[in-house]
Amino acid sequence: MAVYKRSYKAYTGHLTPEWSRWIVIPRYAWQGLFRLRLLTIFYVLCFFYPLGCAVVIYLNNNLAFIRQYMPVPPNGILDIGNKFFLTYTVVQCTLAFILTAFIGPGLVSPDLANNALPLYFSRPVSRTGYVVGKMMVIAGLLSMITWIPGLMLFGLQASLADSKWVTDNWKIAWSIFFSASVWIVFVAMLSLALSAWVRWRIIAGGLMLVVLFVGAGLAEAIRQVWRIDSARFLDVSSNMGNIWTHMFDVKTRYTLTLEDSIMVLAGYTALCIWLLARKIKACEVIRG
Amino acid sequence: MNPNWNLWMRQTWAVMRLEIGKSFFSKRGLWIYLLAFAPIVIWGGHSYEVMERGEDRQKMAQRSPGVTRQKMAMITDEMSKERILAILGPPARQQSFGRRHPVQIMRWSDGKAEFIVRFRDGELENISLREGCSFEEDSTVFAAIFQFFYLRLAIFWGCVFVFMNLFRGEMLDKSLHYYFLAPIRREVVVAGKFGAGLLATGVIFGVSIALQFAGMNLHFPKETVDQYFSQGHAIQHLLSYIGVSILACAGYGSAFLVGGILLRNPLIPAGVLLLWESINGILPAILRKFSVIYYLKVLSPVAIPLDKGVPGPLAMLAFGTDPVSTPVAIIGVFGLALVLLVVAAWRSRSMEISYAAE
Repeated sequence: MAVYKRSYKAYTGHLTPEWSRWIVIPRYAWQGLFRLRLLTIFYVLCFFYPLGCAVVIYLNNNLAFIRQYMPVPPNGILDIGNKFFLTYTVVQCTLAFILTAFIGPGLVSPDLANNALPLYFSRPVSRTGYVVGKMMVIAGLLSMITWIPGLMLFGLQASLADSKWVTDNWKIAWSIFFSASVWIVFVAMLSLALSAWVRWRIIAGGLMLVVLFVGAGLAEAIRQVWRIDSARFLDVSSNMGNIWTHMFDVKTRYTLTLEDSIMVLAGYTALCIWLLARKIKACEVIRG
Repeated sequence: MNPNWNLWMRQTWAVMRLEIGKSFFSKRGLWIYLLAFAPIVIWGGHSYEVMERGEDRQKMAQRSPGVTRQKMAMITDEMSKERILAILGPPARQQSFGRRHPVQIMRWSDGKAEFIVRFRDGELENISLREGCSFEEDSTVFAAIFQFFYLRLAIFWGCVFVFMNLFRGEMLDKSLHYYFLAPIRREVVVAGKFGAGLLATGVIFGVSIALQFAGMNLHFPKETVDQYFSQGHAIQHLLSYIGVSILACAGYGSAFLVGGILLRNPLIPAGVLLLWESINGILPAILRKFSVIYYLKVLSPVAIPLDKGVPGPLAMLAFGTDPVSTPVAIIGVFGLALVLLVVAAWRSRSMEISYAAE
């Protein structure tokens, strides 16, 4: 065809549905992340604890096998119930936080540092789609090590135990999902916000740890000096611990109510979203 | 003496001069000011609040004479309004609001503590006792915050940001090759950068602890403060706090300087060191000595009494150590810093720059 006959024609091929376009972002991000050997090793290590829990659940429900080698109390090695699954959630969510400190800060900062956002937004991806896509990079990875294996462990225990256990403990499945989801949303938004505002990846990762550890220390310092309990609102880890213990119906050592802690976490998440919204723009006006 | 020493010292000073500005005023270093000066705000706010509230409580005590600490302690959740008023007498201050479910708040004070009772629909809803603060209590809280927050978190993370920045920051800015192309030994660059980092963190955290100390003492009566300074070793305590802060900067700083040279992501050694320092109290005696906090705990001027009600993690942090003498503790931290600096200097000799990998 002669060149002068070429003119603009609209794309007539198959269009992907508008709601699913953000999926492109996590798809390529996951490919990039697993090229990092250290991250892949750490991610594999994150599955060891759920695997260990599965072995414990299996053995606890097959005592005849263990009795061949050692004496076992009639009620089993340990009680598989809310405390067992609370410990599982705490361990896995801690690992999830460490994982996020490594992967989260590198998700948005390169796009901002290299002025790549106009390239994203010149395609049919909205700002919300971009943020959801980036969040899904973290949420997808974290779900695979937190609530998904948690529910599989619950399913394993439910299939091996009697029906009474299921009727007594069905709430645990919801607790695993809710507790992990709240944590995933919070850490994902925190890491994205820090990644957007602090362009140096390592500093952003360090700040994630600072928010958790220094926030807790600062809250305790204020509580001791000013003698006010509401200082605990600054402590993200205490609030999350409070939500977990309430959800799993375990005696809590925290003085805050469940509603307080949910509001605190929601407040921090909203702050992170606001910070992100201020940075994620199709164009940047540089004055001066 | 090696004739080059003079030259090396001058070169170290030249590197330090270049680095001091970056360490104090870099945009990336803003965080350490927040970490260092947050406790000043806490102590300053406390002093302001106590001074404001102290006058208020004195006035309240004059309005409700006869109210004592013992009488306040007698009030329980089950008591009726009439019974409370019979014990404490008419309140020094009261306020009411709400139409459907009227809320009434009554306050009494003995001049130091404040007792607040809240009624809803005439029924007792809540009682709370706000204690006044004593010098001994504030001193202990100050020591606890110094050990648990300031040393373990503020100085620790401050050093992460400053000392990590010395080499990793230059790599990110693609400017490290200027130093490596200059006719100076790599060891001199390491020494100069470490010196600048130590000076910056030492000044920032030293000034902060001095201001915190002043903030803590601000609201106490002049006689109490005078007595503390004349008989209570105030200057000795203050110098100890400043000295321990500087030692902490040297110890942690050298560790993060090595981390910044050896690894691309210094957060890994930072996380490992944080864990190591946190479990120091429960480690076997021989392993405890291989940490910074072991020596700093010994040098801290005020011991922290541990109650039975202290939560597990806090008790683990405060777990008593078999004490070493002060000179041994100081030599221990400086020795550790020196060993780490030698490692950093040795490693820097074979350091290669690859900006593309950053």
